Amino acid sequence: MKVTIKQWNAVATWRWDMAEDDDVCGICRSAYDSTCSKCKYPGDECPLLMGECNHSFHMHCIIAWVRQEQSQDRCPMCRQPWKEKGA
Amino acid sequence: MFASKRLGKELGKLHEHIAPGITLVSAEDLKQWIMDIRVLDDNPIYKDQVFRLKFSFSNSYPIEAPEVVFISDAQHPIPMHPHVYSNGIICLDLLDKAAWSPVHNVESICISLQSMLTGNSKNERPPGDDDFVRRNTRRPRDINWSFHDNDV
Repeated sequence: MKVTIKQWNAVATWRWDMAEDDDVCGICRSAYDSTCSKCKYPGDECPLLMGECNHSFHMHCIIAWVRQEQSQDRCPMCRQPWKEKGA
Repeated sequence: MFASKRLGKELGKLHEHIAPGITLVSAEDLKQWIMDIRVLDDNPIYKDQVFRLKFSFSNSYPIEAPEVVFISDAQHPIPMHPHVYSNGIICLDLLDKAAWSPVHNVESICISLQSMLTGNSKNERPPGDDDFVRRNTRRPRDINWSFHDNDV
């Protein structure tokens, strides 16, 4: 029997590759795989950042925090100086 | 908005589960919430008392700390505490820019205040309470607190 494929639909799922068990961003409380409070679409548009302290946040969330003088550039979780891992 | 999405999530969680001694009284909008707290041990200073807290959130919450004050009515006194002024203004580093972190939330603030009361043994107001209450016209967030008492 010969089959001719006329059309096919592929479906894929994705997840950020995370070491942490906790799966929400501590700042906005939305899932890492979801978006920060301001974005509409998850994924590359709203990526995650991990600090040298190994705490992760949505990039937009942690930027909003460290941009404030009062953050003293510290990680909201552990208060160590915030430095992006690998940066 | 930053604040409303996050507050909506907190509210959903609080409806599911809330820590002992804490009650959500009202959260009619995402700007101002009323919470009740009581201490969980038998500290005689706060025996049989329930305290009412007013949370006011700016659009920048949780990047910015909420304003949290005790409010009083016939059933809810302002707790006696060396860091709580008789007008309900609270001196707690957590609520100030100095120590606020966006990972705190309404429930964790309530728990911190519960433990601040539980650990207190002084049935008194802060020094200068009369004067502060009479003269202060600033909102709590505009006050430059100095935190010197690390025991509470």
